[in-house]
Amino acid sequence: MVFNSLHFLWFFLVVYALYRVLPHRGQNWLLLIASYYFYAAWDWRFLGLLIASTAVDYSCGRLLERTSDRRRRKWLLGLSLGFNLTLLAFFKYFNFFADNLHAVFGALGWQLDFVTLRVLLPVGISFYTFVTMSYVIDVYRREIPATRDPVDFAVFVAYFPHLVAGPILRASRLLPQIHFPRTITPEQMRDGAWLVAWGLFQKIFVADNLAPIANAVFEPGTHQAGINVLLGVYAFAFQIYGDFAGYSNIARGVSKLMGIELLENFRFPYFVRSPQAFWRHWHISLSTWLRDYFYIPLGGNRGGAWRTNRNLLITMILGGLWHGAAWTFVLWGVFHGVLLIAYRRLEHTAIAQRWLLGPSVSAHVLGWLLMFHATCLGWLIFRARSAEQLGTMMRSVVAGFAPASVSLNGLLIPLVMYTAPLIVVHACEAYFDDVLVVRKLPIGVRYSVYAATFYLTMLFGNFGGSDFIYFQF
Amino acid sequence: MSAPRSADAGAAVSRRARHAAIFAVILAAQFGLFETALRFWGHSEAAPAFQGLFDGDAAAGYRLKPNARVRFATSEFDTQIHINADGVRDDQPIGAKAPNERRILLLGDSLVLSVQVPFERTFGELLERRLNARGSAYRYRVINAGVQGYGPVEELLFFRSIAARFQPDLVLTTVFVGNDAEEAVRSAPRLLGDARPATSAAAESMTTRLRRIVRRSMVLQLLRLRVVSATERFSGTLAAPEPPLQSYAANPAPRIAEGLEVTRQCLREIDSLARTNGARTAIALMPARFQIDDADYGRLKEAVASAGGELQRDAASQRFAAALAPLSLPQVDLLPTLRQALPGPDLFFQETVHLTPRGHEVVAAALEAFIDEQHLLSPQPAQPRR
Repeated sequence: MVFNSLHFLWFFLVVYALYRVLPHRGQNWLLLIASYYFYAAWDWRFLGLLIASTAVDYSCGRLLERTSDRRRRKWLLGLSLGFNLTLLAFFKYFNFFADNLHAVFGALGWQLDFVTLRVLLPVGISFYTFVTMSYVIDVYRREIPATRDPVDFAVFVAYFPHLVAGPILRASRLLPQIHFPRTITPEQMRDGAWLVAWGLFQKIFVADNLAPIANAVFEPGTHQAGINVLLGVYAFAFQIYGDFAGYSNIARGVSKLMGIELLENFRFPYFVRSPQAFWRHWHISLSTWLRDYFYIPLGGNRGGAWRTNRNLLITMILGGLWHGAAWTFVLWGVFHGVLLIAYRRLEHTAIAQRWLLGPSVSAHVLGWLLMFHATCLGWLIFRARSAEQLGTMMRSVVAGFAPASVSLNGLLIPLVMYTAPLIVVHACEAYFDDVLVVRKLPIGVRYSVYAATFYLTMLFGNFGGSDFIYFQF
Repeated sequence: MSAPRSADAGAAVSRRARHAAIFAVILAAQFGLFETALRFWGHSEAAPAFQGLFDGDAAAGYRLKPNARVRFATSEFDTQIHINADGVRDDQPIGAKAPNERRILLLGDSLVLSVQVPFERTFGELLERRLNARGSAYRYRVINAGVQGYGPVEELLFFRSIAARFQPDLVLTTVFVGNDAEEAVRSAPRLLGDARPATSAAAESMTTRLRRIVRRSMVLQLLRLRVVSATERFSGTLAAPEPPLQSYAANPAPRIAEGLEVTRQCLREIDSLARTNGARTAIALMPARFQIDDADYGRLKEAVASAGGELQRDAASQRFAAALAPLSLPQVDLLPTLRQALPGPDLFFQETVHLTPRGHEVVAAALEAFIDEQHLLSPQPAQPRR
């Protein structure tokens, strides 16, 4: 069941009608049942996995709180992390490692008969395992108390707005909202409705209309002029943003309607001027997770430049690998790691300070353009099906740009048409540093944005689009 | 305390009303903007220029507007369409019939009207030229009385109220096997005319009026498509959705048989009226594009299968042929001829399901052969009037 389907619309209307009339405990039970139904609608067989993960981490949390024995606490933490990582490793990475090991031994002349399991990837597994791991680590660190109520904990893990594609929630933020009675303010209702509408616009109008354009450029075996490759990469950059930010906005909006606040996951990420800022604006819940549970425990920026750079690189590789079991994702992680390291070395130079990071308009424009294109290079690596395709496309951009070969009707015009409204709102959000700026605009402008969002989605939206990209991660 | 509270409530209501009014004005203004933009850039039958071709009609619901002149352009074609004073697509008025003139009246839908090609390249006009090129003592006139969206019921009503006056010697009814059965069922209540219940007539008049309003606006047309698609998807979530193209289904819905029966009744009535005027009637069965185009067929077959149905490529042609056989009217199925014309340049346009100029040539040749074979223009033997 995806957010942009009629199935979800009816599901949510029924759940919401009941939610508004039930008392607090009843609401929590309803959310749990609805969330399990939501997950089972994709594939009921994996519901057991979700319940098992919930049971293991709930029990580990409770046991961690009861004991002060350090060894026993470490053992419990290890048990929880081991369970979750085993799930991830089996369902997400088993074939990747088996295939690569097979290739390595093959190159050494040893033909090993590895078992390759064609396992299905349970939707959302990367999200909910990270959610439960963060909970157990926080309890281990004594940053939060373990929750006693198994229903509250199960709702925290399975809460349907975030279950299959995030944001990756923190227990410290969500559990209290589940545990205590909630009030729904009119402001939350209005903000929630706008976030849902805007999220649908980002998915149906932007992402699903750009998908065929990007797909055509990334189709293996096609050779395009560099200008068209570049436009195709731009299309993918906005497609993946519209798709993922759209999902996150719908999730936040739906949740707000129920009086539960979720983390902001995107803050106009294409209007930043540095890689550091990009990761503070793109998939915020993943980057902060990696920072808090991986980068800082690794040593963070303590211990000198070399160690900091090493930690950054390892963290970003893990971030890449989180997206999927493929070398292009690893390469994408390396690319962003290197970008962050390079930025740390160059940010204090006079040139960077003056021309890229300075307060002038030209520095803003230059810095933004440079970072946007660096991000696009990252997306080219991310989206390419193979190293060969990556090489061919990069060669086209560098050595065969051929601006006269631009595909006007096939690429440029649709790209401008489907991104312009998003960029305008994006720019407005960046200028006011507020992702809900539209809600605060003067009434005439605000209603104009609402009406335009409605018309653009209804008249030009692609209602036969695909699932959300991040479902596969 | 209560006075200020009610004043607050009143202020809140008036604020909401003001906001609703502002939003309504903005919605209306943007409606105008999108409508203008779509009319300027969009190519669609919803464009007002195209809609200018039609006018209301008491019997058939609508008809072609006499003396309308419209240019219709899409990425595949750019056509000037002239409707003559008699309300059919022609450069010249029909006028009085000369003693040596033989007239063929073509009844049908958009596949006969053929707004996609210039008038001189429509199969009716090509047929006329072919017949006149033989150097016979007669002058042949083929009258294109096709109207976009018509089915057998509207064709009968149009013939009865208008086209019978054109004094045809041959009425050639082109049945589009793809949707004529469905359209016949939908329009069957029109056959009752004044005998229809008042509520049914009023509801239909309201629906027609609404349709006309929607047809005139490109924004409303697009919104209607969204609503239709959502309704179909919703009904699909409640019950097993009906696979599309029921006329070709292995197990068609009961309404298809009903539609075939209505079609038979309409053609019998047309034949009866034609005979009264000394004319003969013949039937041409026009296939759908996918019956000729393999790629199109493959795509549709998959779509129907995914909706739980089974598409039988020639079922509709066979069903119409069988259903109309009891009328004992000369009948030609254009499917074999169109198939024989492959391979070669396209017979149908890609973005519409209508004939290309080459498709028209093939059909004109097939109709000429059919007319000769059945001696449809030779003097009719005296027959008792029914």
